[in-house]
Amino acid sequence: MILQKGTSVQGMISNLQHCSVHDGPGIRTTVFLKGCNMRCKWCHNPETISFQQETLLYPDKCIGCGMCAEGCYSGARVLCGKRMTPAEVFEDIKLDQPYYGDDGGVTISGGEPLCQPDFTGALLDMCKENGINTAIETNMSIPHDVAFPVLKKCDFIMCDLKIMDDEKHIKYTERSNQQILENISRLPELGIPFLVRTPVIPSVNDTEEEIMAIGRFVSKLKGLVYYELLPYHPMGLSKGKTEGGFQCERFEKPTREHMLQLAQCLKTLPCDIRVAGEQV
Amino acid sequence: MLTYRERTKKMMEVKLRHTMEKKAQQGYMDADDYGCIPLPKDYHFDIIPNEGYDFFFGPMGCARNLAKMLDEIPVYVDPMEIMCGRWSDMMSKYRYIGGGKKTGGKSTISILYPYDDLVEDQIKYGLNPGIGAENHCACDYNIGIELGFGGLLEKIRRYRDINPNRKEFYDAEELVVLSIQKFIQRHIDKIEELLKTEERPEIRETLQEMLECNRNIKTEPPKTFLEACQFIAWINTVSRTYDRDGAGCSLDVILYPFYVDDVKKGILDDEKATFILADLLLIETHYYQLSGPDSCDRDLTNKVSYLVLDAAHWLNTSANITIRLHDNIDPKFLRKAVEYLFTDRNAWPRFSGDKGLMGYTKNKHITKKIARDRIAVGCHWMAVPGKEYSLNDCVKINVAKVFDIAFHEMMDDKSQEPSMDRLLAIMQKHLTKAVETIAKGLNHHMTYQQYVNPEIVMNLMMHNSIETGLDITACAEIQGMCVDGVGLGLIADSLAAIEQRVINEKKLTWEELDELLKSDFEGVQGERMRLMLKSSERYCQGNSLGDKWAAYISKMFADTVKAQPMPGIRELVPGWFSWSNTIAFGKEVGATPDGRKAGTPVTHGANPNPGFRADGAATAMATGIARIQTGYGNTCPLQLEMDPKLGVQEGGIDKFIQLLKTHVDMGGTLVNVNILDHDKLMEAHKDPSTHPELVVRVTGFTAYFATLSPEFRQLVVDRFVDGF
Repeated sequence: MILQKGTSVQGMISNLQHCSVHDGPGIRTTVFLKGCNMRCKWCHNPETISFQQETLLYPDKCIGCGMCAEGCYSGARVLCGKRMTPAEVFEDIKLDQPYYGDDGGVTISGGEPLCQPDFTGALLDMCKENGINTAIETNMSIPHDVAFPVLKKCDFIMCDLKIMDDEKHIKYTERSNQQILENISRLPELGIPFLVRTPVIPSVNDTEEEIMAIGRFVSKLKGLVYYELLPYHPMGLSKGKTEGGFQCERFEKPTREHMLQLAQCLKTLPCDIRVAGEQV
Repeated sequence: MLTYRERTKKMMEVKLRHTMEKKAQQGYMDADDYGCIPLPKDYHFDIIPNEGYDFFFGPMGCARNLAKMLDEIPVYVDPMEIMCGRWSDMMSKYRYIGGGKKTGGKSTISILYPYDDLVEDQIKYGLNPGIGAENHCACDYNIGIELGFGGLLEKIRRYRDINPNRKEFYDAEELVVLSIQKFIQRHIDKIEELLKTEERPEIRETLQEMLECNRNIKTEPPKTFLEACQFIAWINTVSRTYDRDGAGCSLDVILYPFYVDDVKKGILDDEKATFILADLLLIETHYYQLSGPDSCDRDLTNKVSYLVLDAAHWLNTSANITIRLHDNIDPKFLRKAVEYLFTDRNAWPRFSGDKGLMGYTKNKHITKKIARDRIAVGCHWMAVPGKEYSLNDCVKINVAKVFDIAFHEMMDDKSQEPSMDRLLAIMQKHLTKAVETIAKGLNHHMTYQQYVNPEIVMNLMMHNSIETGLDITACAEIQGMCVDGVGLGLIADSLAAIEQRVINEKKLTWEELDELLKSDFEGVQGERMRLMLKSSERYCQGNSLGDKWAAYISKMFADTVKAQPMPGIRELVPGWFSWSNTIAFGKEVGATPDGRKAGTPVTHGANPNPGFRADGAATAMATGIARIQTGYGNTCPLQLEMDPKLGVQEGGIDKFIQLLKTHVDMGGTLVNVNILDHDKLMEAHKDPSTHPELVVRVTGFTAYFATLSPEFRQLVVDRFVDGF
């Protein structure tokens, strides 16, 4: 699902995370948009899959007051998702602007931010007009003519390439990787620095062959700052559940040794390699 | 042959053993670990009471007891070290008659010079009035270093002839210096004895140096880097023994000329200088400032600044080092300091903010130079060495209690409708009364303290004291008396909860809120309401109602304190700091509208309530606290416990520097910081014995986590934020 341009200038926001250091260079504010067009089985932000506002349930926190309908304050029922205009989001972004320094700024993430191209583009424009560095985290699966006009407003692009084999990609994400491959291969046209990340999921894509195939594809692209491997983390499982909502699956956590072994293989390629931010 | 670095490790092993022995002797300490050594089991100190009394007081009364104590406490010479001396007993312990039992905890000053008319309001408003409090000012070490103990003695005798009517004062000061010299001589004797049997060449060599150094400085001014450090160590050791004084100096600035001279003469290299500095830091945990700008904004960082950091790194334990962050600071030095904060994780250094501290110039007669000379020498406080008497950190108003009183007075008076305006007006009335009571108490202290517990050790290195024959309380050129507020976060969140839930949303009436507080949120519905209040817009969330009220209350407090008239050059200077007394202050305050239950701790210093924000806590807190600074040069510290989750290699240092610089640029005055591993902290909280080496900055001071009581450990754990 893609919210078409012009349908609304509001975005559906799941969270505004301040002082973020894992979503691009420097100290950043990350705007998490709600709604994604992929269904990765290992998703660590499952609350950002649906485009609708929903209630996350944390039964352990319930105090048994029996007044759920009048509002829950114990944290047992947490509303996720709020419609906001770019200006409203920007008001919040401004709080941390003094900390951005030379390299920090704003990252728009999700969900999939390019599913809300109108809002994302408007927010990026607002940041640029105020001299704030911008970055985006995207799965790159959105059609080129929708994605690239938004991407070109960014100072830095972070994208995922999860699996090279298309059949397997569809099995684990419910979406083909063909558009992703096309978009990534055309990123150099923008002249904007970018990085590619692969979440390493044991039993899905954690073999040397799988990772090398992705590495070979991305390493030759002009403008690639580095290729990064991210170890799977079962964070998504600890988040509140919704009735009938998307449920992610549990996988094994890869060992640090295995991550370094995969990175070692990649070192034969002509690009910088990182494991969870660390240079190897 | 042992290297200096290896010897430092052995010295640290002894230090850790001492800490564990002290814990076994004293139980949980809940205070700075200090440099003191455990007392021998058969040690016992009997005071010499003043004639006709069963306690001691006054210049000679105190001097006689100090001399006796310095005669009786153990000599400490560890051949691994290059300097000697430690304190082990403290006279402050003996100043409260009968250990406080015979007199119901009354202090010497309250017996000799009662202030009964103030007691009722002191209790009512939960005041720490500071009457009779000791030290909390800073010596000018330059005076002592220039004269040496012999020169100080000569100066005392000279001025005694000039001011014969001040004979008792001078006799007392003379006895102090003579007893210090005697204490040094006992150490000289011990070193000579050790040299008779010591065979290791490198140890013999430094024992010989230690001997010559102490022989020289017993009478002469220090002439070398080692002698200057040993002189400072003696002053610190004796000053702690006398009354727990822990104020140091600008160590890098003071030692730099000695360093340059000795290097030029070829008698000192950086490794040896680092070893000497490590020994100095080990002997006593005094507070030292490094770097900072001079009065012309030039950076004062020098080679010794770097060596002090290296020395603290060699020890790899607690160190009370504060770096004054300013626009022209040497960036390499700042980076190195933050690197050690990250790699050693022992809560040093701390960082003070020059821009905010320069607000001190808003006080009477304070020039830019004076504000720059005012250095960090305590938990949260500053002092102009040798010139200022402020009782910083000793004087506190439990503003949370003032709020509590105001709220219930409004609700109990049924003749008028409750409202926010009325609440604030009543609060202002009580705050004004609390400040008046503090002012009267401070004036009482300044009048009588000289006759009770004069600063007979610190007077030696104070301007005007020896010259006039007056205690520093009676002759200080600058008297910016401290008044700290306590409970800012609690009050701000309470007012925000009232505005949001009672006034705006009408989820509760004033009367229902009153009932909830009186019942301490009884029952399931009470708990639901408590959680509703607790989830209102909080201080440090960013442009929230809590932030608005924090700024309002901080201004109300600062304005009230500054409006209080004081005699002569004396004035009051506001700040927000609770020290580690949040538990004690909290016990005096009933349930509050921020969802806090009765009797539980109040918020720490200028910090927000724990759990104030789920993400971005570090920057949110840095911004929030920068915005509530009182603006007169006393600090409202940012107390930050965080696991940065980013190592040195992952850019953690750059990001932390950015955080620091931004906070300081916004006007932040002091950052007390713990960079901790969250999992390690939790393990140590569960079982302290798993990490006996873990050091935390509890408030302004540091301590071994394992020596803290469970309640204090909980405070540190509660403040922890998720870092970046």
